[in-house]
Amino acid sequence: MYRGREGQWAFYLHRISGLGILVFLMLHVANISSAMWGPEVSNAFMKFYHQPVFQVGLLILIAGVLYHGFNGLRIILMDFTSWGVRYQKQLWYAAWVLFVIFYLPFLVKIGGGILGGGHGD
Amino acid sequence: MAIKSRRYEEAKLEAGTNLELYWWVFMRISGVVLVFLLIGHMWMNAILVDLNRIDYDYVARRLSQTTWKVYDWLILALAFLHGGNGLRYVLDDWVRHPARRFWTKVVVYSLIAFLFFLGSLALFNHDFGVR
Repeated sequence: MYRGREGQWAFYLHRISGLGILVFLMLHVANISSAMWGPEVSNAFMKFYHQPVFQVGLLILIAGVLYHGFNGLRIILMDFTSWGVRYQKQLWYAAWVLFVIFYLPFLVKIGGGILGGGHGD
Repeated sequence: MAIKSRRYEEAKLEAGTNLELYWWVFMRISGVVLVFLLIGHMWMNAILVDLNRIDYDYVARRLSQTTWKVYDWLILALAFLHGGNGLRYVLDDWVRHPARRFWTKVVVYSLIAFLFFLGSLALFNHDFGVR
């Protein structure tokens, strides 16, 4: 019933994306906080993170945030409403619809930047 | 809810259960708030600007505005609490050895506490000299 079906995929993706977001958050806070040590230190970090590989990482991160967020809303509906449990599978697909709608602008903008070679200084 | 148990062991069990419930509620509330805060944050810094142009000047200007100090600190606090507690669930699931689980938590929570402190300093205790 449950194993290998949508519910289990939703669970694993939620967990993996959550862990990934936490790792990014730590690096991100350290990176932004480095501005306290002035432009030289800060801009060195910025230049490092403007490499194309991190742009791809950012696309994966944004996908993770959007999935984790919309699936989280699905979890809340399942917790507090009976129909949320009944239609959990449909809600999962609804979360993916929201995901696509919100992800497209980021994909176009950041993906375009990667392909256009607009990275780095 | 006040703890009614008279024996320490029972009180601990009772308190543990309530705390678990509070965390459970917190994950839902912070989750909903973070969905909106983070979509806004990502939209402003990746769609409305070219993120490859983000440098010290951009960060210094942003961290000097009260609106973004409050906005960013809300994200900082909620995200680290939400993420730290989420990680606790994962470690309880995946690290079965008690001593190893304990020390993993000590290291990770220390790192999170340090970064939360660092981020708070950058938002509220540093003058970037931007007018």
